[in-house]
Amino acid sequence: MRIFDPHVHMTSRTTDDYEAMAGAGIVAIVEPAFWLGQPRTQAGSFVDYFNSLLGWERFRASQFGIRHFCTIGLNPKEANNARLADEVLALLPRFLAKDGVVAIGEIGYDDQTDEEQRVFERQIALAAEFNLPILIHTPHRDKKQGTIRSIATIRAMGFPEERVLIDHNNEETLPLVLESRCWAGHTIYPKTKMDEERMAALVETYGSDRIIVNSAADWGISDPLKVPKTIAAMRARGIGDADIARIVWDNPVAFFAQSGRLDLGDLDAPDAIDRSQKFETNSVLRGDQVPSAR
Amino acid sequence: MELLAGLVESRLPHDARAWLADARAQAARGDVNGLATVYTAAAVRVGRAPLAASAADAAALAAAAPLAGVGFDRWTLTDGVRAVLLASRRTAGRAGEAFAADALACFDLCDAGEQQSWLRAASLWPEAEALRAVVIDACRTNILPLFEAVACENPYPARYFPERNFNQMVLKAMFNGVALSRIVGLPERRNADLARMARDYAAERRAAGRSVPGDIGLALEGPAAQEMA
Repeated sequence: MRIFDPHVHMTSRTTDDYEAMAGAGIVAIVEPAFWLGQPRTQAGSFVDYFNSLLGWERFRASQFGIRHFCTIGLNPKEANNARLADEVLALLPRFLAKDGVVAIGEIGYDDQTDEEQRVFERQIALAAEFNLPILIHTPHRDKKQGTIRSIATIRAMGFPEERVLIDHNNEETLPLVLESRCWAGHTIYPKTKMDEERMAALVETYGSDRIIVNSAADWGISDPLKVPKTIAAMRARGIGDADIARIVWDNPVAFFAQSGRLDLGDLDAPDAIDRSQKFETNSVLRGDQVPSAR
Repeated sequence: MELLAGLVESRLPHDARAWLADARAQAARGDVNGLATVYTAAAVRVGRAPLAASAADAAALAAAAPLAGVGFDRWTLTDGVRAVLLASRRTAGRAGEAFAADALACFDLCDAGEQQSWLRAASLWPEAEALRAVVIDACRTNILPLFEAVACENPYPARYFPERNFNQMVLKAMFNGVALSRIVGLPERRNADLARMARDYAAERRAAGRSVPGDIGLALEGPAAQEMA
């Protein structure tokens, strides 16, 4: 089964992870722009980060046969630094126009402050201007309220709900999202957010319509194979392959295809991976390694 | 602050005491880089032994703090020296806005350990309120000891945080398994919105088949909870 992981922070992962993901059937991923675990203090740090998502990371993924797309945006945590936020907002249009940027995100709320509201609204307006869908991060704390408020803000701005993916849902927030016309993402984590058994139970209850799962694997305790592991949990519960394929492929593809920039052509006949290729003279090979046949 | 400086000096061996005298002079003059350099060096020069060697020391320090609740008994000598260095700059004719600017510039150059020292001392200054944005922002960290430097044994949040930020900090403490009893002034700052957030959190935990923190009542009890009942 072909797998799309629509939310995974590969900049913090190793080539072992890429290798394992490719082996498990993951052929396409979206890496949303987020924060780096500690706050950045300079707008220039964002320029380099966005460029690495669009350049080096996309290349690294390609070396393992994985198609890498990204979302660009100012995350809600760092939205609270008003001076920096304004500088980054001013940079965004340049990056939102780039090929392979399939949404604006992750945006939304962290502490649900006035600054976060301002930056969220500015970026919803940018999404409309650049004709991009929106990936919404729902907060860890006060999540239910944050989800309600996210949907309310989208509606107040008149942004089309079917072009919004609300992520990191749980048992309390999924019904709220499904009542709207937004898509519902679920982050399957080893310890927090959602696990694969609970996810399979949610699919039993709510079906596969507009349901999406991801690993969100980042620099914390996380697992880039959570989507294939959730497939196994769903199968063990007797959920049919048609529903599963809808969740791990058709839905994320349909959502991000709304950007008009999700190029999945030639996936069935990818070029043989040539690891001697270089990205600006940098290769994923180190030392004396010789490229192995795959 | 004199009492803190006196205690810190009394706890230092001879050579470290000589270093501190020079460092205080360096912190007091020139641009903020001089202060930042000795602020960093303190860890290597004086080490991480506890600041309060005895219960009497801790009690004397507690009595001297401008705000009750500073957890001096958890401070290291390095924390103490760093507070003394900032104080040296402040008393060298740079109080008020100039001190706030210096303190913030110093924070910008801090690594995570230095930030902890800085945050622990944030309530000690007459200019404390001007540091609020940075202290609130520090709560966003994923580095638990850094979060604890603000949220625990520190009177700053209860004194200066707006309700929204205070509530988020309490919820984050629950999220991270930090005992709510360590939050200074929580009983006085409890409010209806915090109670609602705590109840939603308990419901979310139960729906996920997970346990609810045993001390969640500390965020619920009090007049606000009675109003909602």
